[in-house]
Amino acid sequence: MRITTRWKRSLAVMAGATLLFSACGDSKDEKTTAKSDKPAAGKAVTPGVDGTAIGFIFVGPKDDFGYNQAAYDGSEAVKKAYPDLEVLQAENVPETAEAERVVEGMIKKGAKIIFTTSFGHKAYALKIAARHPDVAVLQQGNVIEGKIAANIGTFFGNVYEPVYLAGIAAGKATKSNKLGYVAAFPIPQTLLNINAFQRGAASVNPKAETYTVFTSSWCDPGKQADAAKSLLGQGIDVLTQHQDCTGTIIKTAEAAGAMSVGYHADASSLAPKGWITGSEWNWGPLYIDMVKTVLAGDFTGSKYHDNFRAGYKSDPAAGELSPLVQSIFGASVTDETKALVEKAKADISGAGSPFAGPVVDQDGMEMVPAGTIPSYADLESMDYLVKGVVGKMPS
Amino acid sequence: MTIMETPPRDEVVVVMETPSAKRGSDITRRAGGWALAYLGALAVFGAFMAVKGVNPFTAYRAMFESTLLDASSLSEVLIKAAPFLLAALAVAIPARGGLVNLGGEGQIVMGGVAAAGVALVFEGQMSSGLVMVAMLLGAVIAGALWAALAGVLRVAAGINEAISTLLLNYIAIDVLLYLISGPWKDRAGFGQLASKPLADETRLPTIGSDGRIHLGIFIAIGAAIGIWFLLRSTTWGFQLRVAGGNGEAARRAGLPVAKLLLSGLVVGGAMAGLAGAVHFAGVEGQLRPGMTFGFGYIGFLASWLAGHHPIRIAGAALLLGAIAVGGDSLQIDSGLPAASVNILMAFVLFAVLGKNPRLAGASR
Amino acid sequence: MIAAQTATEVGGQLLIVSVMVGAIRSGTSIFYAALGETISERAGVINVGTEGAMLAGALSAYAVTAETGNPWFGVVGAAVVGGALALLHAYLVIARGANQLANGLVIMFLGLGLTSLFGASYVSREINGFKPIAIPGLSSIPAVGDILFNHDPLTYLSFALGPAVWFLLFRTRWGLLLRGAGERATVLSSYGYSPEATRYIAVGMGGLLAGIGGAQLSTAVALTWFENMTQGRGFIAVALVIFASWHPLWAMGGAYLFGAALALGPELQVRNVGVNQFVLDALPYVMTLVVLIVLAKRSFQRAPEGLAEVFDAPPVS
Repeated sequence: MRITTRWKRSLAVMAGATLLFSACGDSKDEKTTAKSDKPAAGKAVTPGVDGTAIGFIFVGPKDDFGYNQAAYDGSEAVKKAYPDLEVLQAENVPETAEAERVVEGMIKKGAKIIFTTSFGHKAYALKIAARHPDVAVLQQGNVIEGKIAANIGTFFGNVYEPVYLAGIAAGKATKSNKLGYVAAFPIPQTLLNINAFQRGAASVNPKAETYTVFTSSWCDPGKQADAAKSLLGQGIDVLTQHQDCTGTIIKTAEAAGAMSVGYHADASSLAPKGWITGSEWNWGPLYIDMVKTVLAGDFTGSKYHDNFRAGYKSDPAAGELSPLVQSIFGASVTDETKALVEKAKADISGAGSPFAGPVVDQDGMEMVPAGTIPSYADLESMDYLVKGVVGKMPS
Repeated sequence: MTIMETPPRDEVVVVMETPSAKRGSDITRRAGGWALAYLGALAVFGAFMAVKGVNPFTAYRAMFESTLLDASSLSEVLIKAAPFLLAALAVAIPARGGLVNLGGEGQIVMGGVAAAGVALVFEGQMSSGLVMVAMLLGAVIAGALWAALAGVLRVAAGINEAISTLLLNYIAIDVLLYLISGPWKDRAGFGQLASKPLADETRLPTIGSDGRIHLGIFIAIGAAIGIWFLLRSTTWGFQLRVAGGNGEAARRAGLPVAKLLLSGLVVGGAMAGLAGAVHFAGVEGQLRPGMTFGFGYIGFLASWLAGHHPIRIAGAALLLGAIAVGGDSLQIDSGLPAASVNILMAFVLFAVLGKNPRLAGASR
Repeated sequence: MIAAQTATEVGGQLLIVSVMVGAIRSGTSIFYAALGETISERAGVINVGTEGAMLAGALSAYAVTAETGNPWFGVVGAAVVGGALALLHAYLVIARGANQLANGLVIMFLGLGLTSLFGASYVSREINGFKPIAIPGLSSIPAVGDILFNHDPLTYLSFALGPAVWFLLFRTRWGLLLRGAGERATVLSSYGYSPEATRYIAVGMGGLLAGIGGAQLSTAVALTWFENMTQGRGFIAVALVIFASWHPLWAMGGAYLFGAALALGPELQVRNVGVNQFVLDALPYVMTLVVLIVLAKRSFQRAPEGLAEVFDAPPVS
């Protein structure tokens, strides 16, 4: 290959141009850092107060019988409560930089309050918050480590508590003593759920085991069918899940004559025979309360300006709203089971916890010593599966 | 039809170009044809929107205003266009040698993986500027090697590169997923499939007040100009075209045809690898599942839209970038699913690809 | 070793049996699409937009089933819509001279866009989909019964379709014509047949079968419609046709092999074996490449000549 002089010259020009751009980029970089320091020092900006719109992004479709449907219903409740504010909703926003772009579009349309509702949206929520000190960003799920900026907060519900109660019902219902769990990724929320489910079942049925399959996808109905069938093939007779869309697994279980425990939303209509119970979100009141807090200018330092978790220990009188509802019981659930569930609910609403020690992991290591009741914060970064769970975390 | 005439072919065989008489300089007619094509595409998609109860005029207006009349949206278009442009160059260069590179997607992924790997090893060890250069270099090499695999299979075993590059896409994506679910999984990521985020100072420098536009678009435009120059004015570019036009004749003329074809794929792969690094270091900052979904395929289409001409490719990449960003407006302003904008893109492409056969295959 | 360990468990299916059951369950939708693509490519037209036709088929089947209550109407709807998308491809490449590979990708994006636009309202709809039918007697044969005789009707149909398409392509006059359109179009036209017409039919049949593949996924396996639910299965089908050297029966085996790779992951997990699903996912593609390398030139002699020309045609003049 022969390179002509003309080519050499233009190469030099290109190199020069690149230098120029990078130089100018550097100087701007400094400026942005300087800018982001300002709000912290000046405290002049109150995030989220004077917008004309509220933006919501969802990772899946708004009617998935699951997580996104629950979040969407919450956004509809906000729309009703604040008719003067435009509520912008975007479905199927992936957990990639696309999320950042969609939210930027919402801010441009006047949104000063943004709800990013999926675990993996956090990275982009943080960037948005850093770029727009005047926008309040509310991240649903996940945990922010280190110092939290004044205009971002996380919130979630301790969903493992109703999952624990559902585990009790499942442990009483199973005949094969084998329960099945279809999970997506080994994130702390999911591990808490699987473990709580197993511990609930084992608390009433020491022989119960929870077989777990990770699909590495929040919603791939084909993979869900494979996972459910694999579990059913092992003689599992109660199926539950931590997936965003829940229809496939429940319908597969029902078709195979197995029982179902729901998650995220009420899907009892999909399983008239096998429905046991489930855990549902009712985000509306909490979303509305958050919007109220933000609009009042009370966001900074408020309860949502942190890694906020609401659960059965929340105190409605103090304005703490648990976003969780236990689903209705199926026809087959006995009064004895219902009484056990009620008793456990009273216990964990008070001093107890689904993870009251001793908690032993799959390898027999003691993770929570006997007699210890871990706090919500203690449990937030769970990274193990408890004894009685069959299956390994994907590596 | 400037350089090489392809041997006359069976009339009924479906190929994208048949030698035809060169048309006169009927520029207005051609421009009119293009306008008609775009208007037709807009009309078809408008009809679909109307079926869904959305007023197409309102929707188009909102789309136009929020995508093209707004500075921050325009910057989003540029950000999107950068990897599209590089991915399209990855198609155009081998095409010059008569090769079909369907593997842009995989080469982009491998570029991103290499950039992430370089960052994992060297971040904190060297100055951030050096890490950046190393990331881009690593990505170029990885993309080139991934394409070279297909090139070697073609040259040594006669395996068609369109097929092998397509297969290598899936393998590359599985390599990415394997790495971020296993060895490279961010330990502080709470079990999410993602690699460790890049440090802020290792990300590509940005310009503009909102800090979104990054160096990538300039790298891409620079690459397009460079490639245009390489193909047009160097011996290599000329020989590549000769080898692609008629391999047998080129061989008889003493050209190293195998080496030339391989080099075309390798340079193309390097461009795709660069696209991966630019998207990784400029936008995402960490490897994630689906981070490049479709970029390689959109690049393939951009190259076809532009008749594989490097400069026109820049325009095609901008157009496709604008359509992609326009999808946001559909969702936010008109309440339609963002992905439905693919219908508009499809009909624009049909209109151009189906303009038999002059525009589909021609290059001047 | 894994199998031996679990065989002793009460109620647990043998790993090999479970994987074979799973292979057919996951492989059938891919097989439909690959079979269709085989017919299309045999006539000299490659359609990498199979993914789009599958998606459109999955939605159409689901929507029609939801509206009419009968999944068989859904299958008809899926076949019609899948076939229509493929005919659009045929028109653009045959009559308008569009590049086959590029146009196929556009078909894929069109399918994605159309199904996202029209599918949103069906996500929450419920259907009475296909149910597995155990063949009396046969289904109680140990292992074999589970693997072969306890499936949904579309799976049984696919068992018959593989050999039927083989017969059609290699043992009938029409098959000869179709392959002629892909190999020696001029000869065909000199005998007074229209290779174009044959191609339209072949490409249309390809889309029709891809649509039914999508229908099987949405109305028999997942029992749900979800945006982009095929998740690349249509692309797998395109790779599979090459793996199978354009042979319908090999495509059948190949589809089950790809299906097995999909099914193996969860089956290992329920047996307490940690796996990385993505390594399993990559295997079929690596195997396809290896097959190509081993067969090398020979495999491309099996490729229809018209197709080889598509690939070899210089895209730039």
